[in-house]
Amino acid sequence: MTPETENIYLPKLAIIDRVTDDIPEVKTFYWHFQDEEERRKFKRFRPGQFAQVSLFGVGEFPASLPPSPTEDETFFTVRRVGSCTAALHRLGPGDPLAVRGPYGNGFPMDTYAGQNLVFVAGGIGLIPLRSCIVYALRHRDQYRRIQIFCGAKTPKELMYLANLRQWGQTPGVECHLTADRAADGWTGHVGVVGSLFKQAGVQVPVENTTAFVCGPPIMFRFVIRDLLAMGFQERQIVSTLERYMKCGVGKCGHCCIGVAYVCVDGPVFTYEQIKRLGEDI
Amino acid sequence: MKARVVARGDVLKIVDLLRAGGYEVLAPFRGHKRDTWFDTVTDQNRGEIQLHLPNPYYPPKRFVLPHIERLLKVRREDGTFRVEPTYEEPKRALFGIRSCDVAGIYHLDRFYLGREFRDLYYEKRRRGLFLVNFACTDPELDIGEDCFCPCADTGPAAHDHFDLQLMDLGEEFMAVAGSASGESLLGDALFKPCAQSHVERRRAILADVRGRFKTTTSWFSATVRYVSQDAVLEKTWEEIGNRCLECGGCTYVCPACTCFTVTDRPAGPDEIERVRIWDSCALRGFTRMAGGFNPRRAVHDRRNRRFFRKLAHYFVQRELSMACVGCGRCAAVCHGDVGMPSVVEMIRRATAEKDRLEPIPSP
Repeated sequence: MTPETENIYLPKLAIIDRVTDDIPEVKTFYWHFQDEEERRKFKRFRPGQFAQVSLFGVGEFPASLPPSPTEDETFFTVRRVGSCTAALHRLGPGDPLAVRGPYGNGFPMDTYAGQNLVFVAGGIGLIPLRSCIVYALRHRDQYRRIQIFCGAKTPKELMYLANLRQWGQTPGVECHLTADRAADGWTGHVGVVGSLFKQAGVQVPVENTTAFVCGPPIMFRFVIRDLLAMGFQERQIVSTLERYMKCGVGKCGHCCIGVAYVCVDGPVFTYEQIKRLGEDI
Repeated sequence: MKARVVARGDVLKIVDLLRAGGYEVLAPFRGHKRDTWFDTVTDQNRGEIQLHLPNPYYPPKRFVLPHIERLLKVRREDGTFRVEPTYEEPKRALFGIRSCDVAGIYHLDRFYLGREFRDLYYEKRRRGLFLVNFACTDPELDIGEDCFCPCADTGPAAHDHFDLQLMDLGEEFMAVAGSASGESLLGDALFKPCAQSHVERRRAILADVRGRFKTTTSWFSATVRYVSQDAVLEKTWEEIGNRCLECGGCTYVCPACTCFTVTDRPAGPDEIERVRIWDSCALRGFTRMAGGFNPRRAVHDRRNRRFFRKLAHYFVQRELSMACVGCGRCAAVCHGDVGMPSVVEMIRRATAEKDRLEPIPSP
C-alpha cells in the first residue's frame, strides 16, 4: 500500500514566545511549534524560504523566514498591512497560532561559495535577506567579501538596526546605512540606497559576485539600474518576489506569473528570470 | 481495450449495476431546452436519464473539486485550537460524462496529483470516482454550436482516461473498458460479444460525426507557438481585454481551470471552518496583495494570463496535458465572445498577419 498522502493544507499549532517592536508597524514574533517533531522537521528550512501563517477565523498569509537555520529561535517579522497581519499584531506571548511550511526554493547558498556577496535592502526588504546574511556570516570562510547596503525612508525605519551594527563589526564585512531623510539626530549617510555605491571609499566588486536586492518596487528599479551600470550581469542579481498567495504549494494559482508559480518555483529568482516573467515587481 | 455490446433497452441497467455495486450514480438530466445537469440517480428519476443532450454548463469537475469545499474545522478550546481536517471519500460513478470532460478530469489529475505536492482532498474524492464516458454521436443533441473537441483532440470519443466508454451504434451500444474496474464490469451477463461489424460501425459513425462540428477553426498549434514565443502583439491582448466583461464566467464553467481561493468563516460558537472556493483570474482582486499593490491591473493583462496559462508550451509540457479540452463552455457563456475558439483565431490571425509570407509573383 502506498503511504497516505500528507495534507498540504494542514497547519500545525504553534505558540508565541515573545514579541518585539521593531520599526513603526513592524513587529517580530518569536514562536515554536507545540509538537517537538514538527519543530525538528521545520528546522531544515533554507534561507529565502517562507511559511504560511494561520490566524484562524481571519485567514492565512505567506511570511518570509528571517531567521537563519543556524540560529536557535524561529521568528517572523511582519508589517501590519492587511487583515491577517493586523490579527497577528494583536497577539502576544502565550497566544496560539498555526504555521505550515517551509515552502519555496530559497537561496542556493552553496552555489555562492567562493563569491563576494553584496546585499542591497530597502526598508522591510531586509527581512527576507536577513536569513541569507546570518547564514553567510555563520559560514564566513565559504564566502569572500560581504557588503551590506541598507536604506530606509527615515532612520527609525531601518530594519534590524542592532543586527546591522553588529554585522558591521564583523571582520571582512562592510555595512553601509542610509536614510532618505535625516531625523532624530541621525549622523549617518543621507540619500537613497543607490547613493551609497557612490560614497567615497566604497568599492563594489563586480567580478565573481552575487548581488541580493530586496525592497519596494521603486528602489528595486533604481538599484537594478545602478548595478547593471556597474557591470553586473542580470544573472548575478538575485531577488525574492512576493505575491498574493493562498496555498504556498503551487495549487491555488494566485502567484503564478509568466511560467512560474512564485511559491514553488520561487520566491528567489535571478533578475534574468524576473525579466522573462514579464510582470511588474 | 476490450469491447462488448449492450442492447439499447439495457443501457440503463449499467446504472443499476453500478448502484448495486455501492456507487452513487450521477447521470445527466434535462429540463427546459438547454437546461441540463448531472444529478444523483434515484429509483424515481431513473427513467428520466438522458442519453443524448447538450453537455451541462456546470462542469463535472465539481465532483473532484467542489465549488466550495471545506478543508478544516477549527474549534477554540482552552486557549488553544483543535484543528480537524475534514475529508470526503464518496464512491461515485459519473454516468454519461462527455469526452471533453474526461480530458478535463485527467488534466486535474495531472495538476493536483502529478506534481511535487499532492492534494489529499482531491485524491480522496478521485479515488472512488468511476467514469462512464459517453461518446458524442448525435449531431443535433450532443454537439453544440461551440463544441470544438476535434481541435483539442479530446473527442468526440475519448481515447483514454475513462473506466467505461459507451457509444450509440443504433440498436446497440458499444461498451469499451478503459481500466481494470471497467473491464470487470464488462464481465456481467448484460454485455454481449462484440463483432468486427460493430467496430466498423463505430468507425463509420465517428467519421461522420467529426464532420458535423460547427466550430472547427480553433487550431491550437500556431497559437501555442505564438504564445510560447511571446510573439502575440500587445494590441491583440488589448483587443481581447477590451471585450472581457470581467465576469469570471469562463473560469467557472471551465472543466480544466484549477484556481481557488481560501477563506475562513464562522461555523458555530467558537468554531470556524476553512473552505476553498473556485476563484477566477478574470477578477481584479485575484492578484491584489495586502496593502493594495496589484501587479496585474489592466484587464488585458488578466486575459493574457488566462490564455497564456492554457496555451503556453511550457505548461502543456509541465502537466503533459493541455488546460483546454475543447468543451466550448467558455465560448457559450462569454458575452464578449472571447472564449477559447475566438481567442485562438484572433491571436492566430493578428500574429500571422505580422509575418505573413505572401508569394511574390515573378515573370
